[in-house]
Amino acid sequence: MLLSSLLALPAAVLAQTYTEHLHLSPLAHTSHLLAAFNFTSTTPLPAYESGHFTHFPRSLAQILQHTRTRELHLRFAWGRWDDEQWGPRPRDGRREGGTGVEIWAWLDSDDGGGVEERWSGLVNGLSGLFCASLNFIDSTRTTRPVLSFDPEGTHGDDNDVRGLELLHGTLPHEVVCTENLTPFLKLLPCKGKAGTMSIDVRPICPGGSGGGGECVLEIQQTVDVVLDVERSMRARGDPIPRPRPIEELECDQMKQYNGGDTCYPKVKEGEMGWSLSRIFGTPVRGNCHLADGHADADITLEVPSDRIVNVTNAQPLDLGSDHGVRSYRLPNHPPGQYTDLALPQQQLTARPITNAQPPLYATRTITGSGQQHGGMHARLRNPHPYPQVITYFESLPWFLRPYIHTLRVRDSETHEDVKLEKMFYTPAKDRERGTHLELMFTVPAKGEVELSYDFEKAVLRYTEYPPDANRGFDVAPAVIRVLPRTNDTSAARNEPASPWAEDRKQGSYIRTTSLLLPLPTPDFSMPYNVIILTSTVIALGFGSIFNLLTRRFVWAEEVPVGKLALRVKGLVGVVQGVVGRLKGTKAVGLGGGNGGGVGGGKG
Amino acid sequence: MASDPAQATGDFLPSEDREPVNAVGAAKVIQSPPPEQPKSIWTRRYIIFSFWAIVVCFGLPLWIRTTTVYRADLPLRVMQQWADGLTCQFEVPLHVVVEAPGVSPTVAERLAQTLEEYYNEQNLFPIHGLRVTLSDPPQYDDGSQTPGSDRTGLAGASSNTVLTVRLKPSESESTALSRLDPYEAVLDVYYSPQHLETTRTTEPHTRWPFADVIVGEIQKVFAEEQAALAHLFINSGSPVKIDHLDELLYPQRKEKLARRATRSFKYAPVYHLTFSLFTPAATPSAWEIKAALDEYLEPLLRSFTTISNFTIDTQIQLFASFSPSIHGPLYDAESHLWTLQKTDLSGFINAAEWPLSPSIGEGPTINFILYVPGERATPLVIAETGGTSWLIPQWGGVQILNLERESGDRSMLTEADLKQVVFTFADQLTSLLGLPTSPASHALRISSLTRSHTISLILSASSTLGSLARLTQKLPQISIPDTVAKSVDMTIHHLESACNSLKAGEFSRALEHARTAEAEAEKAFFEPSMVGQVYFPDEHKVAVYLPLLGPVAVPLIMAVIKEVRAWRAARRKGG
Repeated sequence: MLLSSLLALPAAVLAQTYTEHLHLSPLAHTSHLLAAFNFTSTTPLPAYESGHFTHFPRSLAQILQHTRTRELHLRFAWGRWDDEQWGPRPRDGRREGGTGVEIWAWLDSDDGGGVEERWSGLVNGLSGLFCASLNFIDSTRTTRPVLSFDPEGTHGDDNDVRGLELLHGTLPHEVVCTENLTPFLKLLPCKGKAGTMSIDVRPICPGGSGGGGECVLEIQQTVDVVLDVERSMRARGDPIPRPRPIEELECDQMKQYNGGDTCYPKVKEGEMGWSLSRIFGTPVRGNCHLADGHADADITLEVPSDRIVNVTNAQPLDLGSDHGVRSYRLPNHPPGQYTDLALPQQQLTARPITNAQPPLYATRTITGSGQQHGGMHARLRNPHPYPQVITYFESLPWFLRPYIHTLRVRDSETHEDVKLEKMFYTPAKDRERGTHLELMFTVPAKGEVELSYDFEKAVLRYTEYPPDANRGFDVAPAVIRVLPRTNDTSAARNEPASPWAEDRKQGSYIRTTSLLLPLPTPDFSMPYNVIILTSTVIALGFGSIFNLLTRRFVWAEEVPVGKLALRVKGLVGVVQGVVGRLKGTKAVGLGGGNGGGVGGGKG
Repeated sequence: MASDPAQATGDFLPSEDREPVNAVGAAKVIQSPPPEQPKSIWTRRYIIFSFWAIVVCFGLPLWIRTTTVYRADLPLRVMQQWADGLTCQFEVPLHVVVEAPGVSPTVAERLAQTLEEYYNEQNLFPIHGLRVTLSDPPQYDDGSQTPGSDRTGLAGASSNTVLTVRLKPSESESTALSRLDPYEAVLDVYYSPQHLETTRTTEPHTRWPFADVIVGEIQKVFAEEQAALAHLFINSGSPVKIDHLDELLYPQRKEKLARRATRSFKYAPVYHLTFSLFTPAATPSAWEIKAALDEYLEPLLRSFTTISNFTIDTQIQLFASFSPSIHGPLYDAESHLWTLQKTDLSGFINAAEWPLSPSIGEGPTINFILYVPGERATPLVIAETGGTSWLIPQWGGVQILNLERESGDRSMLTEADLKQVVFTFADQLTSLLGLPTSPASHALRISSLTRSHTISLILSASSTLGSLARLTQKLPQISIPDTVAKSVDMTIHHLESACNSLKAGEFSRALEHARTAEAEAEKAFFEPSMVGQVYFPDEHKVAVYLPLLGPVAVPLIMAVIKEVRAWRAARRKGG
């Protein structure tokens, strides 16, 4: 799974800084490792506005200025966060996006109708910058959510967003891969050559405390990757997966059928050994400390306190707070030296019992069968002993037409309707805009809420089908925002050392998986078939009528035998004569003529 | 087939005689149908005729009409005329004002006349014509302001005056001295009374040496512009004939002009200037570029406002490495310098990794790169020349700044550090914009650039019109939307206005019109919807409709053939 996000927002923090950070945390119960990269840089807002970008990436800044974008959030995501096993999402899901591409931005709205045009300029510009098909985000994939997103930056004196417009677009079909990461890297002041790791970049915003200092524009780039440790450490020299030689297999000798040619793999015990250099293919070769006086940790590692960590060339920082988080700062490397962290294979006596649970479990599926109708069904389960207020946001493509009168939000156990506190609904217009549905309701403590509605599938025009129409059409994930509880509970959540503890007022986000909607698809050779079929029918009709009108009708006996018919007849006779002679029998010319007499009929 | 009984029987009977094999046919009794009524023959002919009439008069036009591509009317003849240079006779009148405060009006009047006469008779370049007028006295007070004040744009839109000749009395007795003001378009001529007295000789054929001197100076001022224009006419393939070409464009000058043309950017109303600081280390991470640009570059940019506008952005890129294609700086132990080979200069810009993408919006981006080598590789110079800056034609300029400070603070480049850097950038900018190197007065150079840009834009828009006209005639199946026709009309209108303004000596307005004309012409030529039709040619159209046209056409044609045959047979029989 890979999640990357990008956001730019004005905030009031120290001018012109840059920090980078890597948080490593093995995921419980699995052989997976979460690597959360995080790159933040700020630049003074007045300098940015006058075109002096310093460390802010110029290519991005120009797009933002050209389209007068005040705050931008861009997400590329691939895969699924397994919250049953892995627990709550990194950064409370705030830096996460739906499968594919998701983008939302606040644009200046003061000149009325130009917003859509500038939005289209923005997605087109970003499309070129990130080598992604963002330019396909047109009006049908753009919505204007009301409840689900709040600006993270400081806009105006008292965070007044009335002069701004929020637009949100999704592209669930987009496949995210390394070609999107390369441009990501280019936005960093230090590129991939220095810094925490030579793979990725993400900027973070250390909480804008309003009022203090001059305004700065902050760019945060984050890359959160869940790595399969075993797969990542596979030999680099031999990228093709091959079966291991039998000597290297670890067999369970206790099994009765264990023999020279049969092997029952042994269950792995203890914690897996891994190291930075083996997982990422290279150790850390440098840092990117700008001369700005920061002394934060570059790498944090979240492992139990009795886990052995071999550190090469890094200064451990004692940050006081325990919770199994170890912090390191990268030294200035002379050439040839590098930093590495290595964790050997180890049996831990007491496995840490992680009881961290995600705020909500959510699933969403398409029900029903047939080409015309279907239904949407979402289940939201609250594992916590307190009720939670959530907003549920769906942006549906126009060819999926929901029947809002069938919308039911019910408690799964009592089957009673859940009261909707707020509801925003913008119906779709064919080929112009998609449906926007936003609900706000409370999920009861330890309870489950079911949300369902029916929909109708539209039939598209011939040219509107993509090349692989029979695969189905992607429907963007639902975005669920769990609003922060009014009474303070952050202490109870017991994760103060997490580097993204700021911005908790945003609440946390959960996205469901994207859905695949099968639509009735035509046969794509249809237009040519239609042309040929109708032409044939017309020609047949025309021919018959024309012949009826221009032919003379005579008795069958009166039909003269045409020249051609006579010649054919003669030829047949000759052939038969030859055949008869060859056969050597006396049976000559029998039946030679019986086929010929019909020839006149075609006259 | 043979529905005519006469023909059928005529053919039938002898053939049966010839073919005795046909035993069964002979066994049948063949009866001839009764002869057809003339009335039914005529009915049939009417029916066939009306089918043909409907197909020809209604069906085919409908099919052609509904499947044809739309072609708006273009004034092809006018467009071709523009391309051939028949419409606009280039004429650039140079208004010269003589300010002669201490001279009596009659003498000044005569001087002005004589200057115009002398100049025009010696002029090698007929497109330039001199018009000399006398200034009104109040203008003198205005013009006596100190040079270098904010009135740099003297040849601006308000005034059509190209050059002011200011006569000043001097003590020197012998020769007349002249001096060109470096900032304004003013030629100061120092005279002594005896210079003017020469005029008293009333003989008509003696020349007035003082006037000759001034004319010589004026010619020097415009010589380069004339050569540049001549070069422009020749290179653009314009049909304008230029006499005395060899005198105007002697080889050295031609070479110089060619170099200028290859260096400079194509004219654009807006240029984006990007100043980037690259360093292979973490320092310097800040620079006072804003202050330095405001102080040292802004006045230059302001003087260009009649021609182009500029946007400025800056960036800092740390940890920037060279591209692997160059050999990298080599250490020269003798001079203790790090050196770059000349061959490496072209690959110095690491295009793959340095973020120097073009700016958003219309207009080209001019890049200026300041490279601060790391502490270990300082000082870095070009091996052959020892220089630290060079120009990349039609792209921008590069400069290496070697920070001499031994132990000082490298993290910040101050305005003082940047002063020389910005001056070099400004110098590179003027050559990238194609500003002529002479005459010495900046205002004159700017106005000269205005004129040559105007003429080159007119030529380029005209040739675009010609190409469009040829394209429309060559490819009859491409569609021509109304927007193209509208753009062409606009182009022609603005070209005419530009040409007229040029003749009237309103150069900045002429530039404006020429700019619009060029933009509209490009818009018309690169209209995207025109190209699509090329991929759907007539053959395709016919192929798609063949299943309909074929089966319909065959009975129609066969019916006509048969009818004609029957008619001919009947006539032969009758005759």
